[in-house]
Amino acid sequence: MFERFTQDARTAVVDAQQVARTAHSDQIDSRHLLVALAERAGPARAALHGSGVDVAGLAERTRATIEAGDALDRDALAAVGIDLDEVTRRTEATFGAGALARAGRALRGRRRHIPFTPDAKKALELALREAVRLGDKEIDGGHLLLGLTRAESPARAVLTDAGADLERVRHLAEGAGEVA
Amino acid sequence: MTEQALAAAASGDEPRAGLHAVRALRELADRLETLQVERARRLGWSWQEIAEALGVSRQAVHKKHHRRI
Repeated sequence: MFERFTQDARTAVVDAQQVARTAHSDQIDSRHLLVALAERAGPARAALHGSGVDVAGLAERTRATIEAGDALDRDALAAVGIDLDEVTRRTEATFGAGALARAGRALRGRRRHIPFTPDAKKALELALREAVRLGDKEIDGGHLLLGLTRAESPARAVLTDAGADLERVRHLAEGAGEVA
Repeated sequence: MTEQALAAAASGDEPRAGLHAVRALRELADRLETLQVERARRLGWSWQEIAEALGVSRQAVHKKHHRRI
């Protein structure tokens, strides 16, 4: 499938992995792909922008949501009586500033490849189907955005929550696909 | 998180909160293990000594950490 991806679509997939590394995510879901598409110039960002979405704000808020879902969840630890700030303070006293975050990166880095969730895989498959439907030979960022918004997904929920007009976004993404 | 939610999570009344707590504890333990094993190796501990302290086999600890350290 990836051999039919344009450079911008390939870049989005690579960027989504980087978003996951930065957020210490152990999986890449459709939201990581959405952030990747929103943060780089291309047909997807143009479609989002054209539909009136605050693209920079959307990317920033989505990154924050992804990070809040970090496995080292402060609230979840507080619920069993563990004060993450205190653990961090004591750990850093022995191992230096940022030690816990560094250990998290070391654990993720061990797996060079962060796996895609089923919903992210489905979005990539739907992007292919959207390209076929539109008679396009290549899959670009616009098709990826169409794939993310075609079915229920965490990314589509993020867009809906941001007040995006999905029909308008999809219409613009289709247009961008035809031009490219 | 409200006090009620905290109590529910701690006692495991709400499966999702309880499961999130388990996941977070595992992540915290993994990160602390990484830091401690790294340090022990730097201080010259053998894999056998580290394994005994962790209560696991030498093979298990070596397999998990040797590439990183």
